[in-house]
Amino acid sequence: MDTVLTKSTALVRNPNMLGGIILAVFLAGVMFLGGALVPYDPFKIDMGNRLQEASTLHWLGTDQLGRDIFSRIVFGAKLTIGLGMLAIFMAVCIGVPIGLISGYIGGRMDAFFMRIIDGILTFPDFILAIAIAGILGPSLTNIVIAIVLVRWIVYARVVRGLVLSEKEKEYVLVSKTSFSSPIKTIRLHLLPHVMPDIIVMAAIDVGKVILLISALSYIGLGAQPPIPEWGAMLNDGQGYFQVKPSLMVYPGLAIMVTVLCCNLLGDGLKSHFDIRKGRQEL
Amino acid sequence: MSLVVEGLSKNYSKNLVALNTISFSAKKGECIGIVGESGSGKSTLGKVLVGLENYKEGTITYNGAPVVPTKRSRLREYRKNVQMIFQDSSSSLNPKLPVWESVLEPLDNFKECSPAFLEGQNLSRKETAEQLLIMVGLDKELAGRYPEELSGGQKQRVSIARALSIEPSLLICDEPTASLDVTVQVQILNLLKDFQKKMDMTILFISHDIRAVTFLCEQIIVLKNGTIQDQFGINELYHKSRHPYTKALIEAASIQ
Amino acid sequence: MSNPIISIEKLKIETRNGSYPLVNNVSLEIKKGEIAGLIGESGSGKSLTARAVMGLLPVNMKNSGRIVYKNSDLSALSPKDHRKFLGKEIGIIFQDYRASFTPYIKIGKQITETIRTHYPIGKKEARNQALEVLGKMGLDSERVYCSYPFQLSGGQVQRASIAMVLALKPALVICDEMTTALDVMNGEKVLNYLEEVRKETGCAILMITHDLALAYKRTDRIYVMQQGEIVEEGLPEQIRCQHQHPYTKKLCACLLSLPGENFIINERVNDL
Repeated sequence: MDTVLTKSTALVRNPNMLGGIILAVFLAGVMFLGGALVPYDPFKIDMGNRLQEASTLHWLGTDQLGRDIFSRIVFGAKLTIGLGMLAIFMAVCIGVPIGLISGYIGGRMDAFFMRIIDGILTFPDFILAIAIAGILGPSLTNIVIAIVLVRWIVYARVVRGLVLSEKEKEYVLVSKTSFSSPIKTIRLHLLPHVMPDIIVMAAIDVGKVILLISALSYIGLGAQPPIPEWGAMLNDGQGYFQVKPSLMVYPGLAIMVTVLCCNLLGDGLKSHFDIRKGRQEL
Repeated sequence: MSLVVEGLSKNYSKNLVALNTISFSAKKGECIGIVGESGSGKSTLGKVLVGLENYKEGTITYNGAPVVPTKRSRLREYRKNVQMIFQDSSSSLNPKLPVWESVLEPLDNFKECSPAFLEGQNLSRKETAEQLLIMVGLDKELAGRYPEELSGGQKQRVSIARALSIEPSLLICDEPTASLDVTVQVQILNLLKDFQKKMDMTILFISHDIRAVTFLCEQIIVLKNGTIQDQFGINELYHKSRHPYTKALIEAASIQ
Repeated sequence: MSNPIISIEKLKIETRNGSYPLVNNVSLEIKKGEIAGLIGESGSGKSLTARAVMGLLPVNMKNSGRIVYKNSDLSALSPKDHRKFLGKEIGIIFQDYRASFTPYIKIGKQITETIRTHYPIGKKEARNQALEVLGKMGLDSERVYCSYPFQLSGGQVQRASIAMVLALKPALVICDEMTTALDVMNGEKVLNYLEEVRKETGCAILMITHDLALAYKRTDRIYVMQQGEIVEEGLPEQIRCQHQHPYTKKLCACLLSLPGENFIINERVNDL
């Protein structure tokens, strides 16, 4: 109990982390409870009420089809953030094992994966995501696939680098001389070593990926109307930007807050792990 | 003869010879010291003998069976008999695992081993680990600690407990005392000496400290640039037929 | 012998929040041309003493007492003035040789730059001096001069870093576990050269080490340190054969004897 307390106070004392946690709790609340609490059906078109200003009835006003913007943003949170996290989770699940195996076993396996990665790396990831989404056809699923295909290489490369430097450490050699199987050595010694870095990277990456999904949705490759994904909402509001900027401002703010939350969490976790690492090396 | 090495050679690249036709043999229960300066190939020799690195020419046989590091089934039999202790006590334990999990790793892989020093039946894994720690003179309270909370000497004792847990008949020690304080060095050397007698174990003791080597070993091999320069019993240490390099080593270590 | 080069009087080092002192009541002096050995185990405060002399204590520690170097009290100086003594007057050689050189500048350049910061001489002359000290350390001077640190072995880098310190001809050299990272033969070479420099320039040397054999053989006077205090001092023979303090006895018993070195009773040291 004591250690839990000291750990949590240490976490909270870090301002980045504190801000990140507060935002994350808030966003999680919106994601899980928001759908039940919103005052209007986010899909319900009401042409009589289109382009309303903010009022007590419609807190953030209505859009060009008379849908309540507040409801749409709250509803869209689950979709946007959820998809971002899902994409990163899948990228980690593919990239980390490949990085571990490639780095630890080396040889031909390593060369094989590294050439694939080099190949993918020759394209800027946004362009590549556009290309993949373009080939597979515009839809949210395809966007996630495209992002996973682009992002896993980052994890594979980082993990491989960490493993390469760690596998010469003596405890890994001892594990080999103890006749542990490569899988066991990786699971017992190398995976725990790379995990902190991966968690930090993933936290920051969720923000990046949300931006990417929104950007792709904005150019019409991702979520299709009437899905209230934030990027798609930006796209929707584009035509009315001069008449009613709030159509684009609010989804934009929502994206900004989410990305900020991810970055704060990532930075906070990073300094948290760094402190722990520093103590180990003393 | 339990360990026989004949004409062992290894080079990292064309011009970089790590080991050059090394030949020696060790009887069971014998303690052999391998002395040399850094870059002499002594650590490489240790790694080749324990099967961590491949070799190009020559043969290694242990109890009559050749040691081939590429065949996993053969290697298993060999590893059951051969364990290694490394120099750097701080990196030989995984910082993210509690001590008792680290200690149990070899025993987990060789479940058929039932070491004689374990008292009592149906011990839990943690109890087994605690007994191993007691065996090397550590408090069993240390089992739940992490390596960062242990001193250098304690960590090296944990490494020894881990290596001895499957009762190997050959123990390769690569500078096990180099990073320790003098008083702790003596404790560790005494510990190794005790176990060697108790378990009738063969020890290959790799070190640049000729004092430590003479304390533990009966046979000494002097290595330089991957070649054996000199090979002699401990009582011939000051014999005039010693290689000049050996003499220089002794000269450097002596007080007068 | 003349005045001591350095005398430390009642040095006390404690953390700023005032827990018990890490180093307490340490007094020692080194005369010109003398090698003093400071022996003890890790955590005994040897390195902290050296750092206090250099004015390089960690920020959360403070020292009291006097450190008199050639008639000026170093401990009373501001950090900036204190630092002026480093290099040309007091040189230090650390155990961790990897940290001595910037990894991406050639060793030769780093040495000549260091020489030229302290002495007003031309590039060519500095180069010649650098090559000379490198050669004296038993290194292939031309090759080391043109190498980056990572191209050399650990022993070579350590010798090059020692060469850099000694090239400035300091009046006091502090060696903090200088040979620990080197093996016996390389350590021997380095020590021989240090001996030579001492004869040549008459510099004083403070040898901090845990290697008893080295201290017996190389020093003129030994101070034994335990838990921040000097428990015994004397000539090497006194420390070796006629020690008084139980801790010294324990340390001396830990020096493993070579066969035939019968002056030490090599008793078992179980009860440490």
